[in-house]
Amino acid sequence: MDPSVTVRVRDAHVYYRVYEDPVPGLKQIFAQGRARRRYRTIRALRGVSLDLHESETLGLIGANGAGKTTLLSAMTGLLPLESGSILGRCRPSLLGVSSALRPALSGRRNILIGGLALGFTRAEIEGRVDEIVDFSGLRDAIDRPMRTYSSGMRARLHFAIATARIPEILLIDEALAVGDEDFRHRSAQRIDEITSAAGSVVLGTHVMAEIEHHCDRVAWLDDGVLKAVGDPGEVVAAYLASTGSR
Amino acid sequence: MSDPDQRLYDLTRPPSAAAYLSEAWRRREFAILVPAQDLRAQNMGTVLGQLWHIANPALLVGVYFLIFGVVIDTSRGVENFLGFLIVGVVLFHLTQRVVQDSAVCISRNLGLIRSVQFPRILLPAATLNGQTAAFVPALVLAMAAVVATGERPSMRWLVLPAVLVAQFMFNFGAALLVARIGTSLSDLQQLLPHLFRLLFYASGVIFSVEAFVTSPGWRRAFALNPIYDVITCARWCLVGESVDGWVVVGLLAWCIALPVIGFAAFHRSEQRLGA
Repeated sequence: MDPSVTVRVRDAHVYYRVYEDPVPGLKQIFAQGRARRRYRTIRALRGVSLDLHESETLGLIGANGAGKTTLLSAMTGLLPLESGSILGRCRPSLLGVSSALRPALSGRRNILIGGLALGFTRAEIEGRVDEIVDFSGLRDAIDRPMRTYSSGMRARLHFAIATARIPEILLIDEALAVGDEDFRHRSAQRIDEITSAAGSVVLGTHVMAEIEHHCDRVAWLDDGVLKAVGDPGEVVAAYLASTGSR
Repeated sequence: MSDPDQRLYDLTRPPSAAAYLSEAWRRREFAILVPAQDLRAQNMGTVLGQLWHIANPALLVGVYFLIFGVVIDTSRGVENFLGFLIVGVVLFHLTQRVVQDSAVCISRNLGLIRSVQFPRILLPAATLNGQTAAFVPALVLAMAAVVATGERPSMRWLVLPAVLVAQFMFNFGAALLVARIGTSLSDLQQLLPHLFRLLFYASGVIFSVEAFVTSPGWRRAFALNPIYDVITCARWCLVGESVDGWVVVGLLAWCIALPVIGFAAFHRSEQRLGA
């Protein structure tokens, strides 16, 4: 068995139930004599198998609704699988499209809250807070309530908090796309730090420039199935050709 | 399924209860520092500020004393009605605040839940810690007021910490259970005030159950109410009311059973919380 594997996904199926009606009120329960709700099953992932390796940045592309976010959440182990398995060296950290942790509190307080939830001690966070603020590039805005931040600023702060301790496996779900050039440059450096420490990064994105910039391999997800995995140039070309032909 | 060379482990299997608890314990600072911040933020912009944490229960005592001590006299069978009322109101208020805040502790923290992975039990634990911390000054004031009403500290006061620990355990269990139920049934928020209204009368906060309830069957039923058990034991400690064995048994049973039940319910559905 390949010793460099950090996450191994085997034949993973994830289904969602989508309820077609809201929680039944008393009226419906009495009128229809049933409390069960109708639902449809959405097969978000239908048998995905994938290995992630040490020192690798894997790009994840695919149309909206193809299952990218589902695959990334499943890789953290926090999404119940219908069948299949997901093994890993450690639990990956997922960086999603950011909402504010506590919108009413300042960026600085959000760093403390996020850091504590991530398992830092207070002393550790206070020791790193300057570094986190510098990395986020938000020194002027750090004492403002987080609800006043733009989506790009939120993404910067989140990325800075989530990578304050370099994670072994980092999954990024479109979190870099809202950033400006400066942030892209900084995040690229962080990603390099992870991979050079034998970690792995998965980058789910719609921005093909990001893929070409960062990724060693690309996986193309189409309607819950992996359509191709391999050399970035080839897979991206095939993906673009397929979207153009639609 | 496990990996032959044992370096990879199954990420989809939820951690065992022991591993989960030790992970939560490692991050306990979250459950202490975050509620401290929230408490400070809570009364920001009011004139009294942090004083509201004691002004609130004090005003409640004042209102109840005016109505039930002065206007309509329900003090039958109680020697020190003001002391009796203070103990009841302050302890009842604590459990009510913990439970009502726990019902929304998941939905209020969706931003945090969706962006950071951490044992979700920290959220109800933070609510419990915050409300308990806000309760300490009110308790100190209450004890001073009880002394002012003519009670003298006795050996019984030494039992009070045990009663408060039991209440804390019970509150913890209730917080977990309510946090779990509140995430899938938002009707709970509407229901809780009524539940607490019922519990308020069923806890004898403003009247002596001994003096007003004559049927022994009903009196035994009161012992099933954990808040009645807590308040009655605390009154035994502080204002010399009597307590019977059923109340002590009831309190012990609740403070052991509810945390276990609450934890089991919470831990089992951890993955679905906030999804």
